[in-house]
Amino acid sequence: MVSVINTVDTSHEDMIHDAQMDYYGTRLATCSSDRSVKIFDVRNGGQILIADLRGHEGPVWQVAWAHPMYGNILASCSYDRKVIIWKEENGTWEKTHEHSGHDSSVNSVCWAPHEYGLILACGSSDGAISLLTYTGEGQWEVKKINNAHTIGCNAVSWAPAVVPGSLIDQPSGQKPNYIKKFASGGCDNLIKLWREEEDGQWKEEQKLEAHSDWVRDVAWAPSIGLPTSTIASCSQDGRVFIWTCDDASGNMWSPKLLHKFNDVVWHVSWSITANILAVSGGDNKVTLWKESVDGQWVCISDVNKGQGSVSASITEGQQNEQ
Amino acid sequence: MKLKEIDRTAMQAWSPAQSHPIYLATGTSAQQLDATFSTSASLEIFELDLSDPSLDMKSCATFPSSHRYHKLIWGPHKMDSKGNVSGVLIAGGENGSIILYDPSKIIAGDEEVVLAQKDKHTGPVRALDVNIFQTNLVASGANESEIYIWDLNNFATPMTPGAKTQPAEDISCIAWNRQVQHILASASPSGRATVWDLRKNEPIIKVSDHSNRMHCSGLAWHPDVATQMVLASEDDRLPVIQMWDLRFASSPLRVLENHARGILAIAWSMADPELLLSCGKDAKILCSNPNTGEVLYELPTNTQWCFDIQWCPRNPAVLSAASFDGRISVYSIMGGSIDGLRQKQVDKLSSSFGNLDPFGTGQPLPPLQIPQQTAQHSIVLPLKKPPKWIRRPVGASFSFGGKLVTFENVRGQPQQGAEQQQRQQVFVSQVVTEKDFLSRSEQLQQAVQSQGFVSYCQRKIDASHTEFEKNVWSFLKVNFEEDSRGKYLELLGYRREDLGKKRIKEEKQEPGFVPSAGGTFNISVSGDIDGLITRALLTGNFESAVDLCLHDNRMADAIILAIAGGQELLAQTQKKYFAKSQSKITRLITAVVMKNWKEIVESCDLKNWREALAAVLTYAKPDEFSALCDLLGARLESEGDSLLQTQACLCYICAGNVEKLVACWTKAQDGSNPLSLQDLIEKVVILRKAVQLTQAMDTNTVGTLLAEKMSQYASLLAAQGSIAAALAFLPDNTNQPNIVQLRDRLCRAQGKPVPGQESSRSPYERQPLSKGRPGPNAGHPQMPRVQTQQYYPHGENPPPPGFIMHGTVNPNTAAPPPPSPGHMHSQLPPYPQPQRPQNGWNDPPALNRVPKKKKMPENFMPPVPITSPIMNPAGDPQSQMLQQQPSAPGPLSSQASFPQPHLVGGQPFHGVQQPLGQAGMPPSFSKPNIEGAPGAPIGNTIQHVQVLPTEKISKKPIPDEHLILKTTFEDLIQRCLSSATDPQTKRKLDDASKRLEFLYDKLREQTLSPTIINGLHSIARSIETRNYSEGLTVHTHIVSTSNFSETSAFMPVLKVVLSQASKLGV
Repeated sequence: MVSVINTVDTSHEDMIHDAQMDYYGTRLATCSSDRSVKIFDVRNGGQILIADLRGHEGPVWQVAWAHPMYGNILASCSYDRKVIIWKEENGTWEKTHEHSGHDSSVNSVCWAPHEYGLILACGSSDGAISLLTYTGEGQWEVKKINNAHTIGCNAVSWAPAVVPGSLIDQPSGQKPNYIKKFASGGCDNLIKLWREEEDGQWKEEQKLEAHSDWVRDVAWAPSIGLPTSTIASCSQDGRVFIWTCDDASGNMWSPKLLHKFNDVVWHVSWSITANILAVSGGDNKVTLWKESVDGQWVCISDVNKGQGSVSASITEGQQNEQ
Repeated sequence: MKLKEIDRTAMQAWSPAQSHPIYLATGTSAQQLDATFSTSASLEIFELDLSDPSLDMKSCATFPSSHRYHKLIWGPHKMDSKGNVSGVLIAGGENGSIILYDPSKIIAGDEEVVLAQKDKHTGPVRALDVNIFQTNLVASGANESEIYIWDLNNFATPMTPGAKTQPAEDISCIAWNRQVQHILASASPSGRATVWDLRKNEPIIKVSDHSNRMHCSGLAWHPDVATQMVLASEDDRLPVIQMWDLRFASSPLRVLENHARGILAIAWSMADPELLLSCGKDAKILCSNPNTGEVLYELPTNTQWCFDIQWCPRNPAVLSAASFDGRISVYSIMGGSIDGLRQKQVDKLSSSFGNLDPFGTGQPLPPLQIPQQTAQHSIVLPLKKPPKWIRRPVGASFSFGGKLVTFENVRGQPQQGAEQQQRQQVFVSQVVTEKDFLSRSEQLQQAVQSQGFVSYCQRKIDASHTEFEKNVWSFLKVNFEEDSRGKYLELLGYRREDLGKKRIKEEKQEPGFVPSAGGTFNISVSGDIDGLITRALLTGNFESAVDLCLHDNRMADAIILAIAGGQELLAQTQKKYFAKSQSKITRLITAVVMKNWKEIVESCDLKNWREALAAVLTYAKPDEFSALCDLLGARLESEGDSLLQTQACLCYICAGNVEKLVACWTKAQDGSNPLSLQDLIEKVVILRKAVQLTQAMDTNTVGTLLAEKMSQYASLLAAQGSIAAALAFLPDNTNQPNIVQLRDRLCRAQGKPVPGQESSRSPYERQPLSKGRPGPNAGHPQMPRVQTQQYYPHGENPPPPGFIMHGTVNPNTAAPPPPSPGHMHSQLPPYPQPQRPQNGWNDPPALNRVPKKKKMPENFMPPVPITSPIMNPAGDPQSQMLQQQPSAPGPLSSQASFPQPHLVGGQPFHGVQQPLGQAGMPPSFSKPNIEGAPGAPIGNTIQHVQVLPTEKISKKPIPDEHLILKTTFEDLIQRCLSSATDPQTKRKLDDASKRLEFLYDKLREQTLSPTIINGLHSIARSIETRNYSEGLTVHTHIVSTSNFSETSAFMPVLKVVLSQASKLGV
């Protein structure tokens, strides 16, 4: 069942481009072509406007919440070529940093897993991806990957923090030897996987080719303790692919077509437990997909204005298996 | 920014939108000569490879053409959505010719690339357009007002849209309407535009501003609005773009005056109707919004004029422009740096100078340093307004707690008034996908809350699909019942009463065993053994007497004498006896006598795990009990086959070892499935509860694996929106970071900020306590936190049942800092005391019924091994009393306490002797039984042992001689089950297992004919030898020769089982 528990009237004056809940699911951040970013307290079905953040000079495409261990921090990116990092201090939201290192629209922002520190990846229409690392005392270090995607990067998504070769997190105390990775998708129809080398430089690790048009979004699935890595990608060509990699080296990725839609697919989002994929398309359709027992992806729900039913076929299949 | 360059003076055509990859075709321009003044012509196809950062376009094919071109277009005719067919290249030539090329053949390098050619026009064909609705229709325009409509499916004869316009003039542009397929527009340098309706076959409207200065170089229809079009003028005196609406055709709707000199070409983006490209003799390429007139973008160009400009149909950000300096450039309007361009120049330079060491000096050239200033100039700003295609209109993102955040914008252009009405809403929805999982979780919580464990277990037993599942639940249920050890034994197939009955029978068979006390006897002191023994006895030298007896193999005498000789001697004698004795059950007896259960558990045949477990249940002391069960479980897990491995779970349940149960279960089950995780958690929660109630073990530590499973479970619950339930199940007393974090997240997700936490920066240090303080009533149902702690009390000492320890932190672990003053521990009202263990016995039954049951430390005494002197003169009162009542229902008699010499001789034992001892019984209860056993009908007993534990007690037993059928079939099904992989087969097998009950019932009732029975036995034998095909043959024989009604209930499933076994090769 998909049932609306809260309808938030954002009072944005133009098209909304992104809406994201914070880590706890109690605050909602939205951004719009009206150049504003808004934050609402949505606890218990309420909708209290906490902040109306002005600072961008163009449509704001995406917002991203940082992990709360770093405080209440929100990043936003805009057509104005800027990335702004907002922070709540003593109950007031203020701009804490502005990154203007891109030459074109910044289309996507994504915070790294909190284990790595405060790192933000930004993908831009100038083809570059920049990585902002908080180094303390208000300082941000910038690394830039130029020509990551010719004529534009549309999406960035970090891999979950998993130590290679171990399925469960290492005991606390010793610092795990994480390998930082993220995926990006762009107007060159490619998905690229990037990894940080030991010298701190970012290197292209993989090119995933299957889409025949712009890759609109990529989403690396959260880790649920399995050795398989999974990435969902969607494209202007209407296709959604699920990429999986089983081998330890992380180099053998195989795509599986989830579905070919009749229109551009804008956004893919994994559930926290990584078993459901929400797909939003240009026909304003939101669908939920789940992998069945036999490995096929099945649409379990059509969501219209936040409402939808969930087909039970998959659940039944699992029960029969018992 | 510039993406690519081709050094050609040529007309250009992008491949249609369907085509992937993207190609650009170029045909040598007829009007412009390049710098070489070459008159040769060619048609070339380039691929746009954006993953290649260099400025070069990859050339795919070159076809030397005899034509030079005025116009080149690429139509999607006959292309499917996958772009398998490459469409048709349509070229307008100099001498009135229209040529159709097959681009795929050009790319393949074929000689024959021309599909068709018609020289119908009388002059150069400057205007061409493909109808976007019917891609086989092409309109062409040339001089003398000639317009033809070509059908690519029937290319021979073109149509005309109507009578030629007068006066005759050149047709410089032609364009199909983007909304209405039968509308066509043409324009000429004279400035007049004509709109044709092909259905009426005549011009319907003429558009002209009568200025006579509009020299139409471009014509384009509005992509969305059917009645609007733009006309561009190449006259330097009127370098404008006019926007016309046919509904008001008297004057232009809008005039764009952004160029300083005449406009040579325009292109209207199909992807965004607010983007119109124009290039002019002022050497500018502009992108304007024709709906407002605003210039959105000026492309950085060199000073050369461009005579042709095209949007890439597939990639909306890409356009190409052909300039008079002999170059076609591909640009992106999204801005960006032009480092690539510079790189190309650098590359060119270095290639001109040879490689890195052009002068052979041995010194490579230093890398070219590009001045910083240039870098600043190289940045190209994007469009002022974001193009439509990057404005994401819809989104759906998951967030914590199974919430889905969605928004959607009304499609199209909700401009002006509509925008006001459109509320910009975001929906927050709850997604629930696992209903079964949630309802089962709910049931479990209810059971825990209401303490209705027995009925919960019973429901589970009733609902079980497999024998194993049933077993597990039966075992779990026993935990909450009186006399749990006894019940365990029953489940293992050992019923005290049964044996009692047998004993009574036994006694009847051996009447008069008691030696008569009367009569005299002769004390011999002769020189034989008897004499020696007599002497020894007479001198009180028991040791010698025993030695003598042992030497003479008079074991019974030896033991009896040893008993009289005291503990030490008895122990020695027992040792010697065991050393000599070789009977099959000696080891069991040894273990019983020496209390060495470890030995049994460690070395028994794993097939006898039930017996070993039974023995442990009977004899082991509370402090070693669980260790022994664990040991057995561990052996089953590590040594046994997959079937036995799962049985290890039962041992762990007996042991109350939650952690091991989790480990064992996890190994056997697919844990990623929510329902299978639910299966596990149900058992774990119930077992923990049981262990907590019995207090036999320390229940506080939550091991890593269990913690992981519990947090996984909590995550799943949270993902279904059941935040409160997730909190309830999350282990309390662990400081594993992931659990602490999850707890923190759950608390806050509930909208209850974690109290006592000044900063949100440190979830690791958070003391995740909810606002809700537990009331005096520990089981308050509305407070999930309280429930949690009720399930999992923590702290170092096992808390009494129902007593809740809050926030106690195990000091051995690196715990969070001690609770703040606001910590609830200090604020707790006093807890009710009645459930404290010391009060246990006197508690009201309603409260204490359950906890009391398994209080082994207080009322459980394991049967004392036989070393306690049976003939102890002091005796114990109980046994003496019993001795006086030989006919008491209790299974013992004084007679039985006499050693039976023939025991040594080795009864035909095949299994382990069935002990009768029962937890909680006084010591004397058990010991005689053991010794009395030899006379009992052991064969039956042993076979009875093999009856599966869950067999309904109310049913008649299956006759012993047929039990083998049941065990064989059951065993086979279990084997199949453990090697079957697909759920369908498993279901079949489970079903078969259930249906075979019909057979067992018939066996119990002994209603089957001897033929069938014999047949079944031979099937069983062939199963033993794994000769399933033989079994199937026998099966067929039985079915064909027997009465259908007699066998129909079970024979078909037996066949299923046999064929599955054969298929699985188990």
